[in-house]
This record gives sequence, C-alpha cells and structure tokens, in this order.
Amino acid sequence: MANPNTKFLVVDDFSTMRRIVRNLLKELGYTNVDEAEDGVMALSKLRGGNFEFVVSDWNMPNMDGLTMLKEIRADPTLSSLPVLMVTAEAKKENIIAAAQAGANGYVVKPFTAATLDEKLAKIFEKLEKSGA
Amino acid sequence: MNEPLTSEETNTSAAPVSTNDEILNRIGHVTRALHDNLSGLGFDKILEKAASEIPDARERLNYVAKMTEQAAERVLNATDVATPLQNALSTQAADLQKRWDALLASPALKSQYDAIATDTMAFLDQTVKNTTETKDLLMEIMMAQDFQDLTGQVIKKITTLAQDLEQQLVQVLIDFSPGQISVPKKEADTGLLNGPQIDPNAVDVVASQAQVDDLLDSLGF
Repeated sequence: MANPNTKFLVVDDFSTMRRIVRNLLKELGYTNVDEAEDGVMALSKLRGGNFEFVVSDWNMPNMDGLTMLKEIRADPTLSSLPVLMVTAEAKKENIIAAAQAGANGYVVKPFTAATLDEKLAKIFEKLEKSGA
Repeated sequence: MNEPLTSEETNTSAAPVSTNDEILNRIGHVTRALHDNLSGLGFDKILEKAASEIPDARERLNYVAKMTEQAAERVLNATDVATPLQNALSTQAADLQKRWDALLASPALKSQYDAIATDTMAFLDQTVKNTTETKDLLMEIMMAQDFQDLTGQVIKKITTLAQDLEQQLVQVLIDFSPGQISVPKKEADTGLLNGPQIDPNAVDVVASQAQVDDLLDSLGF
C-alpha cells in the first residue's frame, strides 16, 4: 500500500457512488479523501490543493470525466496526476479513448472492492517504478 | 378533401418541378388519408392516450430513481454506524487475547488476573451492546431493500406502456404506409456516453473487468 495520507479526489455526480468509493478507500487505509460532483468542480479543487490521486466517473453533467482527464493532462501543474476511471461506460471505444487520453486505469461499474484495490495497487506500483 | 400543398412547392428546387409536384401530391394524399383513416378507426385516440401516458411514465421513473437513492442512503448510513462498532470489538478482542496469552505464559499475580478479568468483563458487556446495535443495523439494511418490490411494480407498468405504444405505432405503420415498409433499425450509438450496458453480448461491449484489463493489456497499458 502507498502512503496512507495520499490525498484522493473522488469525482462522481451520484453522492451514493462517491460515498461507496470513499468507504472503500477508507477500508484500504486511505482516509484523506475529498469529493467533487463533476469535472468542473474537480478541476477547480485539483488546481487549489495538493491532490495526489483522482478516481473519476465518466458520464457527468457540466464536464464529463474524459474531458476532465484531457484537461488534467494538458495542465502542466496537474499533468502527472494519476487518474483512475471508474465508470459504467463499457464499450471498447470508451476504454481505448480513456487509455489514449492518459488514464492510468479503467474500472467498469459495477465493481468490487477487490478490483478497486488491485487497480490502485497496480497504479502505485507503476508510479513507484517510474519514480525510482 | 385533398388540399393542394402549395407552400412547399416553392421551396424545392433540386429536382424538376413536375417530379416535385408529383411527390408532394402523393405525400399530401397519403397524409390526408392517414389522418382520415386514423380518426375513423379511433387510432388518433389511442395514440393520444399513449402519448398522454408518457408524462406518467416519466413520473414513475422519477419515483424509481428516488426510491433506489433513498435505499442506498439508508444502507450506507447503516454501514457507516456498524463499521466502527465491529472494528471496536475486533480491536478489543485482539488486545485481550494478547494480554491473556502473555498472562498464561508465565506465573502471574492475582492482581494481574483481576485487572485483565475486569477488562474482559467490560469487553463482554461492550460485545453485547455492539452486537445488539449491529443486529438492528442489519435489520435496517434488510428493510432498505423494500424498494425492490415497489420499484419492480412501477417498472413493470412502464414496460407494459412502452410495449403498447410500440405495438400501436407499428400497427399504424403497417396499416397506412404505402407499399412495403420496414421498421428502421435503430442506428448504433456512436458516442462515448452510453451509460451502463444492459446487454453484455452487444457488439463492441466489454462484459467484465477481465475483458477491460485484456483490452488495456493489448494496447500496452
């Protein structure tokens, strides 16, 4: 497990899903979690505070997750931020589009706690390798 | 009965005038015939009724969304309360076990036994309290599923409505279309915002996380 103080931003337009992801992260030992309900709010939070990880839905009002991901990659201060997509969008072109836009992982809803754990671990592992 | 359709005629310039006149005349005839026949057979009333049921269906779907959201909230609230109760028991039990193990491993004083016995009694008391409360929370989680019965009925009503509407529209098409008609196939969604995939066997849809992982692997991620 990575640093338990890793600062997460959970982005989803449904409060239920934000709570579930927050609870799962807490179970995994990460308690430093903030929430945003769409891409616009997420970007403003990301630009305001030292977030280290983003878990985001795709389909959201105002700004969807893919657009947000592209904005993150285009912003020099945020570009290296790991982003895990957690979404109900399950077409191949979605996964390809997310990967091409620079997503670090893709979890399709409905998902299990074990899946989230595994994907987070994989991303942290890769980050450590590239950082070392 | 068959009024000439003059206004449209002036707007068409792509095809020769005589062909346009012919087409527009035909459409005019068909439209008029359709209208008259529909009225005669009462189809307009049926369609009117079907259309009037759409707002009702919307209301019902709102109800489903509301009920399911409430249920999710209730369950999450219950687990939020139950989790620390369980965690406390687990931590205290582990701690007592360690202390008993240490105590039994070597000769100990009565005062030491007394201290751990007091704590054990307190723990048992706590266990009764926490498990009773957790039982209530499990009951709450169970009761939160009562939406299933209600939303199930509502969804069934909407499904029936959709079926009726579809049938009536198809019947109108069959009865009044000139010559051969075929119900046009729904064009495949090409956008990226399609929401949850209801049919995992559909084309270009991943059916599981494993397939997502395989696809990403094949892309080199």
